[in-house]
Amino acid sequence: MDKLSEEKLFKALMIASLAVVVGSLFVVVAVIVWNGAPALSLSMITQTPKGGYYLGKEGGILNAIVGSLYLAFGSLILALMISLPAALSLQKDYIGKTKAAYYIRLSLDVLWGTPSIVYGAFGFIIMLYLGMRASLLGGIIVLTILQLPIMIRSMEEVIKMVPADLKEASYTLGATRFETTALVVVKQALPGIVTGVILSFGRGIGDAASILFTAGYTDSLPRSLFDPVASLPLAIFFQLGTPFPEVQARAYASALVLLIIVLALSIASRALSKRFMKNIIR
Amino acid sequence: MSHITIQNLSAFYGDHHALRDITVEIPEKLITAIIGPSGCGKSTLLKCFNRLIDLTDGARVSGKIIVGNMDVLNGGTDVTDVRRRMGLLPQKPNPLPMSIYDNVAYGPRLHGVKEKKKLDEIVEKYLKIGGLWDEVRDRLKSPASKLSIGQQQRLCLARGLAVEPEIILCDEPTSALDPVSSQHIEQQLLKLKNDYTIVIVTHNIHQAMRLADYVIHLYLGELVEHGPANEVLENPKEERTRAYINGTFLADVKADQEINLKGNMCPYNFVYAKQALHALEKGKILKLIVDDPTAVTEVPRGMEAGGHEVVSVRQQNKTDWEIIIRKKS
Repeated sequence: MDKLSEEKLFKALMIASLAVVVGSLFVVVAVIVWNGAPALSLSMITQTPKGGYYLGKEGGILNAIVGSLYLAFGSLILALMISLPAALSLQKDYIGKTKAAYYIRLSLDVLWGTPSIVYGAFGFIIMLYLGMRASLLGGIIVLTILQLPIMIRSMEEVIKMVPADLKEASYTLGATRFETTALVVVKQALPGIVTGVILSFGRGIGDAASILFTAGYTDSLPRSLFDPVASLPLAIFFQLGTPFPEVQARAYASALVLLIIVLALSIASRALSKRFMKNIIR
Repeated sequence: MSHITIQNLSAFYGDHHALRDITVEIPEKLITAIIGPSGCGKSTLLKCFNRLIDLTDGARVSGKIIVGNMDVLNGGTDVTDVRRRMGLLPQKPNPLPMSIYDNVAYGPRLHGVKEKKKLDEIVEKYLKIGGLWDEVRDRLKSPASKLSIGQQQRLCLARGLAVEPEIILCDEPTSALDPVSSQHIEQQLLKLKNDYTIVIVTHNIHQAMRLADYVIHLYLGELVEHGPANEVLENPKEERTRAYINGTFLADVKADQEINLKGNMCPYNFVYAKQALHALEKGKILKLIVDDPTAVTEVPRGMEAGGHEVVSVRQQNKTDWEIIIRKKS
């Protein structure tokens, strides 16, 4: 094969794979919007389910929206507080080159691939042992554990890419390891850190299995960390499971709400971090 | 007056013995050039001074470096204190991911200057010393990465000076720069030597001649010769120093035959060169021009293996290299 047709073939291959990605995404979004948009109404997002909601009567999914936001942001903040220092400690300047770091990365990779129902079951057993019942707090903790491997590994990959030059520059000016990490490494790696956060937020807010036992489900809004709490993925699951078409349509509407939340956070965080990114060394 | 005293300094990278038992003194408020071919340990020596070598995996250092009353290599010495007393101008400019202003203010802030007015003064003062102020005074808040390479290097100089060091270490500071920017940096260094002790690593003899008051020649990790610049550069005592200095000037040597091997791949480069050399008398000089990257390393190596002397290998422009060989056998 000559170089020109090689080039063409490769280009065709790239376009084909892009088409698969964009196409399937488009179909998913289209199905959700097509089925969900007609059922989406103001009462849907401002009311909690009234009696008979799951039979097609009045009400909304405010309980699930509020619950999901509590769960997702609660676990996001907790996971970020743990992940960032953990990812930074895996730098070469700290423990990155040690045998321990190798095993930490390995176990994080395994945890990343673990099905979330396993986290849910694990959390449930611990909670039984402690005598806790399904609650917002339980859900947040299990979701945090679920998000940790995603956050730490994706952050670590970008932190690793920070040029050694930059760290050296900081060290030669008399900075300590901590000062270099906090003032230079985090700044330079910020876009990647943001990506890691969005990635795990998406996983956290969209996961149903891990919170099935640990956060429970309820038709009312949570009043404390120790109340059970509803969530969008489970709301979708329950509504889709009913035999009534109008309730199934509400499931799609709930999915649409979930999608909008993820999209909004994605856009907001990118816009926010753009301000801090102009100084990055490329 | 000596400022840096080096006693029996050895450095290892794993099994590689990069510096062998160096003992030398570096004079105060003069420019000292460390010269020698690539891989001779010049940069390693510099990295020992500010203990940047601590960051290299598997590196070990023994011996002593005394700066003033500070024992640099002693484990008990605060490494941030060592580095604060020595600014480093790197080979490739490495601005920090922040604005021009913050780059210069970075060091002073670390060391406790918080007041905005004081910082403004520091930034202006050192950008002026670095010769960059007039070009950036209106855009101090814009990213440092937007500056040209030459400006970035002057920013690095200003940034290094802002922590108020006594010594400026330069690791081939102009090798990534265009001629005009290089000249700019050289001029700044000449101005700065009234107030600072400057150590510059360079593989450019001409630069050493322009700048240096004192010269240290390293070869394969050994200290070959050191002394005042005019003595070492014009009248070296050591044969190896003479060979090195002459080697870099041999570009002006008349070649007995010149062949252009551009466009040839290996091993044809090598074969043609060998044929041409075969036709020459012993002691004659052959000049080759190649543009194949493999040939740049492999042809000289092969010629040396064949018993000939490789006088110099120089890059002429972006693609072309000049290899000069003296027929020996």
